[in-house]
Amino acid sequence: MNITVNWGLLAPILAIQLILMVTALTSLYKADATRGPKWMWVLIIVFGQILGPIIYFVVGRNDRS
Amino acid sequence: MRQFGLFYRKEMLEMARSYKWIWVPMVFLLLGVMQPVTTYYMPEILKHAGNMPAGTIITMPTPTAGEVLAQTLNQFGTIGVLVLVLSMMGIVSGERQSGVTSLIFTKPVSFIAYMTAKWASMLTLTAAAFACGYAGACYYTIQLIGSLDVGTVIQAGLMYMLWFVFVISVLLLISAWLPNSAGVAFTTMAFIMLLSFGTSLLSRYLSWSPSRLSTIASEILTKVETLSSVGPVLWISLCSILICVMLAVYRMQSQESISAKA
Repeated sequence: MNITVNWGLLAPILAIQLILMVTALTSLYKADATRGPKWMWVLIIVFGQILGPIIYFVVGRNDRS
Repeated sequence: MRQFGLFYRKEMLEMARSYKWIWVPMVFLLLGVMQPVTTYYMPEILKHAGNMPAGTIITMPTPTAGEVLAQTLNQFGTIGVLVLVLSMMGIVSGERQSGVTSLIFTKPVSFIAYMTAKWASMLTLTAAAFACGYAGACYYTIQLIGSLDVGTVIQAGLMYMLWFVFVISVLLLISAWLPNSAGVAFTTMAFIMLLSFGTSLLSRYLSWSPSRLSTIASEILTKVETLSSVGPVLWISLCSILICVMLAVYRMQSQESISAKA
């Protein structure tokens, strides 16, 4: 595999993903309680690529507390 | 009007606190940027895909800039709508379950102000997210694929935005009706998908359906001759948005006065 990758092109995409991940992790850190254990959500957010943070924001947050 | 401003600010604050102002636009931006980049790299990705028999030659016509943008709109129409619905499904039912709604309506509060403020805040978030994603898509398309005509881009964007407004109006109506947010999300998605499917299947008879808005937007971008006349679609969409919001207010009013009496 030696696809010539133009990093200038992909950098913004990676940056957006990073922002999403950091936001989700901050929110997770500040939350008192989540649905399910917190370490599980850390794994989902970090390894879930784009979907991870989305799933966390939709399902994981316990807004009522 | 004062109440409207108050509720609007409250909704905005709540959306900021739940990080919606960050993650929804970011997801749209990602969606918008991905499509042109994937299209640009597609020949290379196919070349390196392993399970192709030797000597396979795939020739693809390079899509025009308008076509790429239309594909991006397609992405917004599936994943984008899903994200919007999921992020705002609890807008009424969440407050109802936590008891905030009955607390608010012990005061003489206008139902119209309450519901329209919710609708306006949903509209603001949707518009911001869509603008982010669309701008990102346009930028990358221009950089990688080719130039775009500003007029058609704006025209198509406005058409598509109206489709999103229709979606969130339906979402507001259904969330005023159903008690739990998962049900709201499911019903809204089912309705939107059925409407889209039905419209594309029976396009001859349903040429006025609001779901035609997304098709029209793509057709503007790809410069295809439109099947439907734009006028009726616009009018029917605007009317159904109005009806949705009015019905939502009405439903809220009747339900809350029942629960107040009980």
